[in-house]
Amino acid sequence: MKVGLFIPCYINQLYPQVGKATLELLEKLKVEVVYPSGQTCCGQPMANSGYESESVGACNNFVKNFNEFDYIVTPSGSCAYHVKKHFDVIPQTEEVTKVRNNVYELCDFILNVLKIKDVGARFPHKVGIHKSCHGLRGLRLGSCSEKMTPEYSYIGELLAGVSGTEIIKLNREDECCGFGGTFAVAEEAISVKMGKDRVQDHLDNGAEVITATDTSCLMHLEGLVNRNNQPLKILHIAEILNSVN
Amino acid sequence: MSSRDAILSKIKDNKPDLLELPTINVDVFSDSRNVEDEFILKVEVAGGQVLKAASNDAVLDQINTMFPDSKVKYSTLENTADFNTVDFDAIKSPKELEDLDVLILESEIGVAENGAVWLKDATLPMRVLPFITKHLVIVLNKENLVPFMHQAYGKLIGEDHDFGVFLAGPSKTADIEQSLVIGAHGALSLTLFLK
Amino acid sequence: MSHSKAATIFNKDEKKVNWHDKALWFVRHKRDKSAHSVEGWEELRNLGQGIKAHMLSNLDNYLIQFEENALKNGVQVHWAQDGDEHNRIVHSILQEHNAKKVVKSKSMLTEECHLNPFLEADGIEVIDTDLGERIVQLAKEPPSHIVLPAIHKTKEDVDELFQEHLGTKPCDGDPQYLTGEARKHLREKFVSADAAITGVNFAIADTGGFVVCTNEGNADMGAHLAPVHIACMGVEKIIPKQEHLGVFLRLLGRSATGQHITTYSSHFKKPRNGAKMHIVIVDNGRTKQLSRPDFRASLQCIRCGACMNTCPIYRRSGGHSYDATIPGPIGSILSPGKDLKKHSSLPFASTLCGSCSDVCPVKIDIHAQLYKWRQIITKETEQPFVKKASMKMMGDMFAKPTKFEKVGKMARWSLRNLPKGVINSKPNVWGKERDLPTGPKESFDDWYKKRKKDE
Repeated sequence: MKVGLFIPCYINQLYPQVGKATLELLEKLKVEVVYPSGQTCCGQPMANSGYESESVGACNNFVKNFNEFDYIVTPSGSCAYHVKKHFDVIPQTEEVTKVRNNVYELCDFILNVLKIKDVGARFPHKVGIHKSCHGLRGLRLGSCSEKMTPEYSYIGELLAGVSGTEIIKLNREDECCGFGGTFAVAEEAISVKMGKDRVQDHLDNGAEVITATDTSCLMHLEGLVNRNNQPLKILHIAEILNSVN
Repeated sequence: MSSRDAILSKIKDNKPDLLELPTINVDVFSDSRNVEDEFILKVEVAGGQVLKAASNDAVLDQINTMFPDSKVKYSTLENTADFNTVDFDAIKSPKELEDLDVLILESEIGVAENGAVWLKDATLPMRVLPFITKHLVIVLNKENLVPFMHQAYGKLIGEDHDFGVFLAGPSKTADIEQSLVIGAHGALSLTLFLK
Repeated sequence: MSHSKAATIFNKDEKKVNWHDKALWFVRHKRDKSAHSVEGWEELRNLGQGIKAHMLSNLDNYLIQFEENALKNGVQVHWAQDGDEHNRIVHSILQEHNAKKVVKSKSMLTEECHLNPFLEADGIEVIDTDLGERIVQLAKEPPSHIVLPAIHKTKEDVDELFQEHLGTKPCDGDPQYLTGEARKHLREKFVSADAAITGVNFAIADTGGFVVCTNEGNADMGAHLAPVHIACMGVEKIIPKQEHLGVFLRLLGRSATGQHITTYSSHFKKPRNGAKMHIVIVDNGRTKQLSRPDFRASLQCIRCGACMNTCPIYRRSGGHSYDATIPGPIGSILSPGKDLKKHSSLPFASTLCGSCSDVCPVKIDIHAQLYKWRQIITKETEQPFVKKASMKMMGDMFAKPTKFEKVGKMARWSLRNLPKGVINSKPNVWGKERDLPTGPKESFDDWYKKRKKDE
């Protein structure tokens, strides 16, 4: 099994610890992971802003880096979704189709490809799960509250296997945090308000930590928590799954 | 070109290739609920009440007790001439029904999933009646209850109604701060008798 | 005004935003509860979607069939290519019957065509009879929601408004009292109306009849009392057969308010004795939307408003911030098709969270269409130079790994070394209320390369 690791641009530059945790976790789970050099971005920032044409270079670079792998794993539901959903913007060669079929969000990969439920982690804290939208409603990494389907959650299932972790219940289990890429800036007032409301929901229900499959949502929530000095720690799910005490 | 033809020709040019019309398989909706219990529950959810009565006389007795002060009354039930105070031959305009206090009608379809009953204008001396009356009373035979809207429409196939209404509960609104208020423009109360 | 500007103004009063958000979330919650009680809800949505999509693919034939049956039923049928023609048709029908006082139940189509001001200009009195619509009519505002037109008004607002216009007593916003007063006020209007106008929820091709749904009974009070009933419908309101109502009436009430069915689902077919019935069938941009493969599914909409109630942006910005007849997610995919320039900010008023598409009873891929409109808007309308240039720069940087590495290094250094005051200065909109992460010394890339070397 040849597994390529995709580290999204903002994780690479601003949250390297999330990338490290992802790599270490996969290695712990006996996966041989290759991190191809020369990777940049999935193209989402331009495409979601209405400039799909400007994302072509990023898409091509992504395919060049990852077309040889059986699986492409990334600690981001949003980036994986973008590759799956929006790479129509480049010609659909065999390589492109292969990349689109093989890209996996980290929890999805661990649970459904590796078939591992207990990663052997210990994290004795009260944790609230922020269900990032593109993973949830795009990749269907869990059931969403709008649909009348059986309940499941990949991130929840893995977190339930972590020793000492108490998952707290939220009043609104899957409302958007308001990050939304350039939305965070273009619609600053609403973005901030949505983020504040999400943070408050976690606080109201006794969370010590907010986690998610996506660092983009977490960067937004962390920015608010830090600015307002709120007693919450923000961690990517890879960091929790890679914890031992 | 007339506007009609212009619109139709634009649609013809712009519509996609013909897509298949799905068929409705009612089996996927079946649940284990008791039709009568469900109907009573849903009428109550819709703001109405359900009573039991063995005969039309029993219905009238109960209604006379429930609405002792009512002056203007009308019933379409058989042998209820004594109850009626309205002479429809003398009424020129539906507007004259503004003072109607109690109206008793019969329905031949009740829907368990939502508490709706079907009223058709063949049984209505005037269409506005079930809306303009202060209190609406409907008598329904238990055997006429169906689980879902699909079966209700199944019963309507082949029937020809100039006007009909599925009615669930009394008139209501929540337009002021989402507070439910019973009695907007239509009936202030709905009482259903199951026979 | 762009959506973001209007939303910023709305957000100046955080308490009101919280109140608005909670009121609509409550409706979404009621919807969840009643949808959960239906076995096979997702199958019901599939049917709703399938029937509507089929209808659109055969719309011309169904309209012809509908007209034929309606004519047989003794109903007069009119066709309008745009809002102006619709208004002129309605006006001429009213003139023909010498109607000066009109009661109108809820119809988003007549809002879209701006019928009221058109008729009022000729001295015709038009009274909106849905309580929420009457409230906004008295306040001289457009509805802010398609199902809950006055959801932006507090009960105290309504109290004041009724004191001023209906002469009610001060009541601390008692909804029971206010509704009772509105009932009296509107009863007078119903009884004296010369004509009634209603919308159409569903028009049935195989019977020529149509269904109007209300909770208050206002459509029926109008239509059964007035000598003339005019029903206005968009071409897309057609469904093939009466039995299909079984699907749509199960979906509509639950999706809209969480009711298992609307109180009154009235099936009109023939005019009552001595009265007249007219149907006006309107295009007004719908056939154009039908021509766009990416966007035609928006015509499947049954106007339940569920996408508004679920939308975290709608709930926190209010319906008026969209400055469109239909606000919220569905409005944001319909409106650009009518006036791309005017509504160019709407498809960006979304995080693309996808909640709208999953809540939609007829499975319109709303968030996917928002994404597609964005691609068109950046090409066909003028964009700010800074946005265009920065997108080009980013696209270029992400295409070239060495450039990305250099820019990344610089950004990390700045975040680490520049004083907070500089980082969060005015041009950085992010920093107004949020901190930026502290730039790490080492990127993941740097760390990985070092680790490789050390192996």
